[in-house]
Amino acid sequence: MSAARLVERLIQLPLVLFGVSVVVFLMMTLTPGDPVEIMLADQRATEEQAQALRRDLGLDRPLPERYLIFVGNALTGDFGVSFFHRRPVFDVISERLPATIELTLVALLIAVAVAVPLGVAAAVKRDSWLDRALTAAALFGVSLPGFWFGILLILLFAVQLGWFPVGGRIPFDAEVPWVSGFLLVDTLLAGRPDAFLRALSHLALPAITLGLPAAALLARVIRSSMSEVLAADYVLFAEAKGLPRRRVLFLHALKNALIPAVTVLAIEAGSLLGGSMIVETVFGWPGLGRVVVEGIFARNYPLVQAAVLLYAVIYVTLNFGADLLYAALNPKVRL
Amino acid sequence: MSISRREALLGTLATPFVARGALAQRAAREVRVGFTQDALTLDPANHRNRETQTVIRNIHDGLMARTPDMAIVPEIAESFRTIDAATYEMTIRQGIRFHSGDMLTVEDVKFTLDRLTRPNAMGGATSPRRDLLGPLEETTIVDARTVRLRLSQPWAPMLGIIPAQEVVNRRHVERVGQEGMQTRPDGCGPFRLVEWRRGEAVIMERFAEYYGGAPEIPPAGPAQVDRVIFRVLPENASRVAALLAGEVDIINDLPPSAMRQVEASRNAQVMRVNGTRTFFVAMNVAKPPFNDVRVRRALNHALDKAPIIARVLAGTATSLRGVMSPDSFAFNPDLPEYRFDLERARALLAEAGVAQGTELVIDTTGATREIAEAIAALLSRTGLRVRTQMWEGAVIGPMWQNPERRRERDMYLTSWGNASLDPSDIMLPTLRTGGRGNHSGYSNPEVDRLLDTAEVEPNQDRRRDMYRQAQRIVSEEAPWIFLWLPQDLYGVSRRIEGWRPQADSRINLHRVRIAG
Repeated sequence: MSAARLVERLIQLPLVLFGVSVVVFLMMTLTPGDPVEIMLADQRATEEQAQALRRDLGLDRPLPERYLIFVGNALTGDFGVSFFHRRPVFDVISERLPATIELTLVALLIAVAVAVPLGVAAAVKRDSWLDRALTAAALFGVSLPGFWFGILLILLFAVQLGWFPVGGRIPFDAEVPWVSGFLLVDTLLAGRPDAFLRALSHLALPAITLGLPAAALLARVIRSSMSEVLAADYVLFAEAKGLPRRRVLFLHALKNALIPAVTVLAIEAGSLLGGSMIVETVFGWPGLGRVVVEGIFARNYPLVQAAVLLYAVIYVTLNFGADLLYAALNPKVRL
Repeated sequence: MSISRREALLGTLATPFVARGALAQRAAREVRVGFTQDALTLDPANHRNRETQTVIRNIHDGLMARTPDMAIVPEIAESFRTIDAATYEMTIRQGIRFHSGDMLTVEDVKFTLDRLTRPNAMGGATSPRRDLLGPLEETTIVDARTVRLRLSQPWAPMLGIIPAQEVVNRRHVERVGQEGMQTRPDGCGPFRLVEWRRGEAVIMERFAEYYGGAPEIPPAGPAQVDRVIFRVLPENASRVAALLAGEVDIINDLPPSAMRQVEASRNAQVMRVNGTRTFFVAMNVAKPPFNDVRVRRALNHALDKAPIIARVLAGTATSLRGVMSPDSFAFNPDLPEYRFDLERARALLAEAGVAQGTELVIDTTGATREIAEAIAALLSRTGLRVRTQMWEGAVIGPMWQNPERRRERDMYLTSWGNASLDPSDIMLPTLRTGGRGNHSGYSNPEVDRLLDTAEVEPNQDRRRDMYRQAQRIVSEEAPWIFLWLPQDLYGVSRRIEGWRPQADSRINLHRVRIAG
């Protein structure tokens, strides 16, 4: 990729974020519903007191002014105060984000670990019973509603078999110092392999709930790209040369078959971040998704705006990374 | 017992993850609550949220407390007396220690009340709880044991609101600042904070030097378990699963649909208590045909509540003839009943000139959709065509609060909470002219007069009489279709003793024991 192209892509980033900030701000503030009324609900308060609270939260100012204040502060890293937590939004987000990222990463790992062998196997044994079974399973996996699948896993593995805990991140008697916020890392840094395993057991069911449907989609993509690659001349040539089948499959074919999968993976990573909202609720996982959902219902403007901006940054960065990787994997691609 | 190779392999693979020992892994005397929501803050002055207060109340004590039967009794205060209609005096119990070791003094009590009521008293911000304390104007220290509360005008609900405020340590607030108060509480309650894992759990341990709490809620003394944990499980099915798996001991907000499942398990049971939330269908009295009292009475006669309570609510609600909960001191047991009588309903509608087939709409939110649909179907048996319309909670509330915006609306299936069980907190907002929750637009000068007088009447018996009169008038004028009071359901492990649910939905764990 040329340097100029790279710079161009980088310049696009703030423009995208500006667009996202306007859209999120308008969507939140123009959606009917008043955070003050939600906060007061049916508690004792007069209209004057409601107005005072509205003033306190800055909701009495005109919309353009509110937007400018929001953007001006955001540029300095100040995302305001969460209406309901009454603490800086930055703090609320930064203490929740690692849990979400950890869950997403492990879900992605599961997705890749399941999808690559299954996708390859289906392509190699095309139209066999294995292929058909995998296609059916993939269709089933893609159609699984996360909350239903999650509850099913809880009922089977937590309630009936008692193998995994119902929810949470780590047992209450296992305390490790907060270093990175990623418990799998922090437990190892603390030299606590026991706590690591127990954190892993807490992570297993939510990560499977999130990862399996992603694996289904990914397996379909790998199957179709692998099928194409396997029919290519250079693969035939490699086989004709008498290279071992395994070497042809994994060294020659798979590397090229993975190129479309990388893009899908980047998009999947973004949607897993979003999809984690439901899974976090089902498993009582203390991540960002749950706070954002609560924030949307409560019209907690500052929190939702900041979180959506953050999601946008992650999403755009992931796609940018995928483009770079795409170029690296396939020299024919020029960004 | 023989096991197959497959089972053996599965068992080996699962060994590192095994949570089978979940019960065994716990501290011997530990109680866990599976709770719908995390605390928003641990600063008692910086929220207006029931769940947050439920957590905080185990760390902090109040001047007064409520018994499980909702009676108000002294806690940090030793006694509470009325000097005149706008002045109260409290004697503070001696020898109470905060978790940090500081002794609780009258200065802390004054500081707490000032922090709640004075503008900008929280590092420049004003407590969101300020309105809750009504016209409390000044707290003065009389002597080392006594404080005096002066109101700008007489206000009868004062006593009922005091149990919902917790006392903080002045020196601690000065040490940690407002920011520190959010996460590092220093209460004088039965448990001290060990760790707050945001969004996941609040972990507390027994405070051995606890003074014992309200003597009128026995047994007094330090808590009887070593550790308690409020674990956040927002999803109903997961909360129930955690109870059945033995991972938690008490769960709140048990869905009626899971009652049978919990009862069928050997290790848990269902506990229920009348809640404090009155459900009703507000009729827009400014709009025809609801401006005719005969129509409003007709709809009350037309609704057969029994099948809805039995089927939709699984029998977990108490039918109401009026506004107030039967647990309130001001409940009027002699209100006339609008008996289910379809013929009478049809006759009243005909008398009022409402044509058959007239279309009416019940507005509500997704949470009460099923109930609204059942009500609409039953009301349609009068010959009216009643249908429902769903709204998002954040939209429908403000719409029905605004007389202009609700002008074209017909009915609103809604509810109003009354955690203090004092009519002042429910009748004033929902039935007084112009009240914040007066969705019907109901206005009756006599009801307004009775409510206003009762608000400043210090004599509780006279207050009760006034509220009862007001309830009778409201019942006769029927601005609502009176519905029911849902029960709050809890799933409780059979290993738990010394706890039962209470109407204000607090989960106070001070007196909880582990069976056996």
